[in-house]
Amino acid sequence: MRKYVLLRGFYSLVTLWLLVTIIFAMVRLTGDPVAMKGEIGADATYLERIKHDWGLDQPVYWQYTGFIGNLLKGDFGHSFEKSLPVRDIYFERLPNSLKLGFAAFVISLALGVPFGMLSALKVNTWWDNAGKMIALLGLSMPGFFVGLVLIIIFGVQLGWLPVLGKGSSAFVWSNPATWAPFWFRDWPHLAMPAFALGWYFSGAMLRITRSGMLDVLGSDYIKLVRLKGVPERMVVAKHALKNSLIPVLTFAGLNLLIMVNVAVVIEVIFNWPGVGQLLYDGLSNRDFPMVQGVVLMSGLMIVMLNFVIDVLYGYVDPRIRLSR
Amino acid sequence: MTRRTGIKELLALIAALALVAAAGEAAAQKGGQTPILSGPLVKLDIKEAQIETAKGKPKGTFRIAQHFALDPGWLDPLEHIFALTMQTYDYLVHDALIKPMPQGEATYSLAEHAELAADFRRAAFRLRPGLKFHDGQPLSTADVKWTYENYKGAHAKLFRDKLEHIQIVDDRTIVFHFKEPFLEFMDLYNGAVSGIGWIVPKHYYEKVGRDGFKAKPIGAGPYKFVSQQAGVQMDFEAWEEYWRRTPAAKTIVVKGIRDNAARLAGLQTGELDLAFGMTGKVLPQVMADKNLRWVPNFTSVWHLAFPGYNEPDSPFHDKRVRQAVSLAINREFLVRQETQGVGKVWGNWISPENRDALKGDGKDLPLPEHNIAKAKQVLAQTKFPNGFEFEWFVPFVPYFDMGERILTDLRAVGIRGKLQSLEGPAFRAKMGQGRKGFPGNRTIVQNIDPRPGGAKATIGVYAVCGSPASIVCEPQIEELWTKHEASKNLDERDRLNKAIQKILVEEYYMVPIYWNPFVHAIGPRVLPEGKGIERYYDTLHAPYPWPWEVWEVRADR
Repeated sequence: MRKYVLLRGFYSLVTLWLLVTIIFAMVRLTGDPVAMKGEIGADATYLERIKHDWGLDQPVYWQYTGFIGNLLKGDFGHSFEKSLPVRDIYFERLPNSLKLGFAAFVISLALGVPFGMLSALKVNTWWDNAGKMIALLGLSMPGFFVGLVLIIIFGVQLGWLPVLGKGSSAFVWSNPATWAPFWFRDWPHLAMPAFALGWYFSGAMLRITRSGMLDVLGSDYIKLVRLKGVPERMVVAKHALKNSLIPVLTFAGLNLLIMVNVAVVIEVIFNWPGVGQLLYDGLSNRDFPMVQGVVLMSGLMIVMLNFVIDVLYGYVDPRIRLSR
Repeated sequence: MTRRTGIKELLALIAALALVAAAGEAAAQKGGQTPILSGPLVKLDIKEAQIETAKGKPKGTFRIAQHFALDPGWLDPLEHIFALTMQTYDYLVHDALIKPMPQGEATYSLAEHAELAADFRRAAFRLRPGLKFHDGQPLSTADVKWTYENYKGAHAKLFRDKLEHIQIVDDRTIVFHFKEPFLEFMDLYNGAVSGIGWIVPKHYYEKVGRDGFKAKPIGAGPYKFVSQQAGVQMDFEAWEEYWRRTPAAKTIVVKGIRDNAARLAGLQTGELDLAFGMTGKVLPQVMADKNLRWVPNFTSVWHLAFPGYNEPDSPFHDKRVRQAVSLAINREFLVRQETQGVGKVWGNWISPENRDALKGDGKDLPLPEHNIAKAKQVLAQTKFPNGFEFEWFVPFVPYFDMGERILTDLRAVGIRGKLQSLEGPAFRAKMGQGRKGFPGNRTIVQNIDPRPGGAKATIGVYAVCGSPASIVCEPQIEELWTKHEASKNLDERDRLNKAIQKILVEEYYMVPIYWNPFVHAIGPRVLPEGKGIERYYDTLHAPYPWPWEVWEVRADR
């Protein structure tokens, strides 16, 4: 088992190295970031000074070794656009993204799983058709549209909910007293963006739950349980649900990472200060260190999640670790 | 005009001039302004600051929405970029020796007196007595000198190359000595054009360093920096010891909100009090909302340019083709479509807010004509009697609808092209490369540039061969520009500058469209009620309504 874990860990590190190397190369293909900062008509000396400050006057291999060296020290570099260390900006934004992502995740589960189950249990009935309709709406109505509709109804017309930002609570890493209040305050600010983001994913969740449940309900062991005369309620709750949720939870885990890291449109519409906007700003402004930093952190989360899943699979199923 | 009326007017003018001269002398004596420099001086047009002492306590939170992400780098004048946006933060946290104010394009601020030697080799300033930074430390000429010497932003090389040495006469008096005549010094040192005149506290900057300063700056401006979430929000608090007046609003919160609809919703729900960039599709909604007010806030002039026009195989090489383009554009329609009729059709491509710009309202340059028949007629005399296809029409981002409309107008005379939609930064990067930014020579660019520093600054960027962003490169203009740069006579420079503007428009190198309103929308919490808010927009050359200390809002509930 130890050898298996070490091997998986090594693969994860290689994946991360490949990721940062590819990102390092790709952002440099987007063009010259100095032109962004310099404005039209800026004199050459001024542009040279910026280039020097940003280390872009160095050969690319030197920039790359410097970048990897700094990464090993936990330094993601300085944002070109926001003029501060990327690490500071990223970790200031990360709690906001986690809060939005988790809330949207809960909404997507709360809508998708029960309706998916209902749809599967009442297959080819009115309930099933309604479930399919909800799934279709979830998948076909983009988050920005739902967000704007929510803003108009609950923000502008009814005046019930604020439409901008995350509220006044802040998560300060160095101050543990702020941690708990951050999660439990300013829910009115969270309600609309979390629903708009969770709504889209709830459609996919509903479909997966439905098809997983249908597969399980049609399996031999469920037939056997029914033949034994177990009440239908118990068949569903005790035997079918647990097994049908395995693919749902795997999918949900990936969805959560997407919701945390790339909720760009929702963040823009609700002015939510998350990491998605950082990535968008970074890409728009050729802010190489910011793009590298945000992609690296997103990649790190995905690699870590996969590593944990791989290790757990190896732990619960010896055939997997022995086959490697 | 009758002869008697003419004499009357002449006498009135002489009387007025005498009064102005007397008032100027009296003001100088009243301020006790003993001369700093010896020898003849240039007569400077710097207005007196309006000091308001009888103001009450600051009250209320004033919430402003910027239309893009906020850059903490904007808080550091030492790294001042060219963009005017940065001055929003200069005017909040910092203060300059002279800066644009409602009183004039150059108005005394930290300095109470300035002199410029007639040979343009020395400039001197006297600071107001008792100036302080937000931490209570005195602001002295040592800070002014340190700021100049450590400045790295826009025009830094020019300032460094020209400087011989800086002489600190005393804590309040400073003299800059230049190696050679520095004619533009007062224009460039003005807070409108560069960051070098916005004074940074030497003791604090040296203590916290560059990043520390951007993260938590202090200055001598009306508002103290409180906190920021990089890119998203900055909070400022009134500094009651500001020398000019007590700021009216207790707190100012600036948010970076890119989405127009979100800014509008923020105003409608009362989460915002002022939103920038409300032109285009949201403008009708702003106008229709009874709770909102709006200010046209005219900035600069939309215009077309033709990168690569001077290559013989370009269709735009022929002046008549460029003229046909101009004749084909229905400017009145564009003004209605884009600005609900608020914009003004204009005959110069440079903002009339520049004191050295020719007026494009028919006074100096004629209003451009919309005449399809004439456009076709002009085109018929060229190599393209039935029109032609050009490659790209590149609109300023995100004014794609406007670009589409212009393309439709051009199609009506047989000039056909495709729209190239770029991202904002990509457009800026291309424009920054000038002609080189646009491959081929069959492209039309739609641009606007509310650049401070006078018409000459805009010409120097786009219409001079040596500029990195040059689009127009003409021997005739180059000759005039060389003379302009060599001249030590301000009147002659002005004449040459205007001659260049005339050529650029009359030869259709630049095709002006309309003077653009960069509409700001204002919520009901801002005082005074009704049209009184227009007084906040009196500062010339300000796409944003500086200074901030005058903005009043209702007290928070």
